[in-house]
Amino acid sequence: MKRDWPDIWGGLALALVGLAAAGWAWVHYDPGTLRRMGPGAFPLGLGLALAGLGAAIAVPALRRAGAPVKPEPWAAACVLAAILVFGLGLRPLGLVLATASAVLISTLPAPRPGAVWRLVLAALVTALTVVLFHVGLQMTLPLWPRL
Amino acid sequence: MTTRLTRRATLALAAAFAAAPALAQDGWPSGPLHVYVGFPAGSSPDTLARIVTEPLAERLGQPVVIENKPGAGGVIGIQQMLANAGDGLTFGTTINGPLTTAQRTMDDTGYDVDADIVPVTLIATSPLVLVVNAESDITDLQSFIDAAGAEPEALAYGSVGQGSGAHLTAELFADEAGVTMLHVPFTSYAEVTTSIAGGEIDAGFMAPSAALPLVDGGQLRMLGITSAEPFAQVPDVPVMAGRAGLPEDFRAELWNGFVAPAGTDAAIVERLTTEINDILADPAVQEQLLAIGWVAAPGTPAEMEERIAADTEMWGGVLDRIEAAE
Amino acid sequence: MSTWDGLLTGFAFALQPGVLIYCLLGVTLGTFIGVLPGIGAMAAISLLLPITYYISAEAALIMLAGVYYGAQYGGAVSSILLRLPGTPQSAVTALDGYPLARQGRAGVALFTSMISSFAGSVIGIVVLVLLAGWLSRAAVAFGAADYAAMMVLGLVAASTIGSAHPAKGFAMIVFGMLLGCIGTDVNSGVQRFVMGRTEMLDGINLVALAMGLFGVAEVIGNVRDPDRQAVAGRIGLRAMAPERDDLKRMPLPVLRGSALGSFFGALPGTGSTLSSFLAYAVERRVARRPERFGQGAIEGVAGPEAANNSASITAFVPTLTLGIPGDPIMALMLGALVIHGVQPGPMMLETRPEMFWGLVASFGIGNLLLLILNLPLIGIWVSLLRIPFRWLYPAILIFVCLGVWSVRGLTFDIVMVAGIGLAGYLLALARFNPALLLLGFVLGPLIETNLRRALLISRGDPMVFLERPISAFFVVATAGLLVYSAIQAWRRRETPEPGGASADGP
Repeated sequence: MKRDWPDIWGGLALALVGLAAAGWAWVHYDPGTLRRMGPGAFPLGLGLALAGLGAAIAVPALRRAGAPVKPEPWAAACVLAAILVFGLGLRPLGLVLATASAVLISTLPAPRPGAVWRLVLAALVTALTVVLFHVGLQMTLPLWPRL
Repeated sequence: MTTRLTRRATLALAAAFAAAPALAQDGWPSGPLHVYVGFPAGSSPDTLARIVTEPLAERLGQPVVIENKPGAGGVIGIQQMLANAGDGLTFGTTINGPLTTAQRTMDDTGYDVDADIVPVTLIATSPLVLVVNAESDITDLQSFIDAAGAEPEALAYGSVGQGSGAHLTAELFADEAGVTMLHVPFTSYAEVTTSIAGGEIDAGFMAPSAALPLVDGGQLRMLGITSAEPFAQVPDVPVMAGRAGLPEDFRAELWNGFVAPAGTDAAIVERLTTEINDILADPAVQEQLLAIGWVAAPGTPAEMEERIAADTEMWGGVLDRIEAAE
Repeated sequence: MSTWDGLLTGFAFALQPGVLIYCLLGVTLGTFIGVLPGIGAMAAISLLLPITYYISAEAALIMLAGVYYGAQYGGAVSSILLRLPGTPQSAVTALDGYPLARQGRAGVALFTSMISSFAGSVIGIVVLVLLAGWLSRAAVAFGAADYAAMMVLGLVAASTIGSAHPAKGFAMIVFGMLLGCIGTDVNSGVQRFVMGRTEMLDGINLVALAMGLFGVAEVIGNVRDPDRQAVAGRIGLRAMAPERDDLKRMPLPVLRGSALGSFFGALPGTGSTLSSFLAYAVERRVARRPERFGQGAIEGVAGPEAANNSASITAFVPTLTLGIPGDPIMALMLGALVIHGVQPGPMMLETRPEMFWGLVASFGIGNLLLLILNLPLIGIWVSLLRIPFRWLYPAILIFVCLGVWSVRGLTFDIVMVAGIGLAGYLLALARFNPALLLLGFVLGPLIETNLRRALLISRGDPMVFLERPISAFFVVATAGLLVYSAIQAWRRRETPEPGGASADGP
């Protein structure tokens, strides 16, 4: 049985998001009247529209073949982890350590083995970041951990 | 008015001098000061903070870093100041909203004004002007109130958001004048002035500097001002209090003050009060503030605390009436 | 002072070495700031603000303006080379610019973008000089109903961008509009979908959304892609110069884009983002073979780049003629003027003619400098592609994070980027078009607030949309466009085109 899985999952996810938003808006926000439309009117309408569109994407996809997709969970996990480490580490670790660790984490999924190029890259990017943002743009960020 | 300010500043200065020797020993400030501002760089509250902190840095012999943390009407600035507090070098400047009305208009600000924030001193105040289209038949305050009173919601006015100073001032005015107006919220004064100039809405309360360009261009007209005395930036605009049936004490002002997180050493607060009062006594600083629509208003921490309490009560009453009407 | 005398005065003023140097400084900084993803003119202008206290008001304005329009040139570079918009306005440039780069024609795409940017700016300047008065009256005449009707037209016109699967396109727009609902509702003050986070009160940060959807999602998708590492070798000298055919395709899109950009740029609040999207939508509509779009159509680069650059010039109209800033960056520049004791507005032309005309002249000089600066840089930018992707993407991630952080200095926004990046990657896997999500996000709140405001002001009378002439025009145009699209769709069903449905998604 051929199915267009990306469209099925995509449509289903959007439909759920739409229903959730519409439900939340229905419970919490006043839809108002035509003269004084309330804060609930738009989220409710948009949520229902998204639910309908999601269904319109998913249902026809049940009966047709789709192009295959290759998800990269390892790449996604490392890239997102790098961003989170950088973001959450910026204050406690300072710009230098946060940048270096984020770079090292983000290079984990790169298709080339070896530690040397990773360390060199971390050093280069950290230096570039400090020069561009700390020296050049004068962002008020701590460079090193606050002791 | 300048003499009054200077006198008040001198008094505060004299009062604070008593504490100065105690502080001189412990070597504060030991590093750069961080002053949190809940508005973006280049905005009026940011410029005000920079005007005051530049001489402050010279006097303290340490740099003052302005940390712009814009958002939620200035509340984010206070939150970020509190989150980074604890070193005796973290402070903030803020407009009145986050200290007076935010607790009412927001679900949860994450701080308690009385428990978490120590007032240092008011820096400046800004009145609001009532503006209409220059081509309208409304030429003065009395004809405005007459037109607004013709029927409920006969006139529509713009504000910069639900619960903003412009909104609350207009509702306070409507209440005192015994009229009901239609509130149309916008996001910026730029939108409000355009809408009035285009004849779409009838009026709006706003900072004088927001109205000035279109008043000069002959598209808008200013009917009155909400301060107790005429305002030097727009000296010809009459004071509202006591006119057209409004009470003698009708007064609504935005203000901007210097604050510290709770737990800041009392001697540090006193030192800052002294220094800022001193800075505000400088005519050059007063002129810079006036150019961006603020009049210097130095004072003591106690005076600022009173102002916070009085305004919280006054605007709270207005918010009660708005909620009751809905 | 006549226009001609004014221009002469202006050029005489702007060509003084002491002023010219600030113009050069502004446009150079603007270009580089624009190339860095996420860091926009806003950050650069905030940074320069303290410097402006020490120079003349005229020089300060000319320098800050140079950053503003210079960033538009740079923004296209990262869009084309990395599919990573340097500025939100240039997001749409990536739709065709990046496929061109993948085909080894990055030089051509960059050349097209530079020339179109320059031409768009020049047209914007001409419009500014000749039509400033008319445009400023139009800006005041536009009411809430007119804005709402115009935005709906824009949305309908743009809804077909880059998707042969209409339901998927509409779903992205609606999803974007729904995301736009997050934050404090302007009309009621109610805090929607904020989940108790104060950081969400002003909504999702536009830069975080654009960077997450395009930048992070693109990085994830390409980390392990061997193709991405190999683009390099194929770039020869020949590929740098545009072919005769490319040049022939440029003039009309540039003219159409400039017209759209000049008009929308002058309206306060709509900004250049909308104009670049609309320019793209228009090019796709008028094209004889719309399926080329998304595959590397020169018109898809030329139109939007001309549009956002001419918009960045006419954006000065309301600021200079009315004293009304059209966007936050303009408000920042206005603030800089006020510090100098200059009150921008209707009187400025009379009280400070050298400032008004000097600025206009500096637009011309600055754009020429930008062209001279950027054409030789094309070679250097293209050589960026020779660097293997694994050497580039960690730096891209850091720049994206710091760019987002620079907007309001909150760690929360960086965490948001990770979340949005994940969502963007999943959407890209399912072949949804993130550009439409961004468009819905920008237009949704404008439509909602203006629609509700219009009904509030009209005291609940929906006829306001037909009674106001401007609004009525847009309503009729929207209806016409819908009918036209329906007829076209019906015809296409009658005579199926071979291979027409392959251009789905980015």
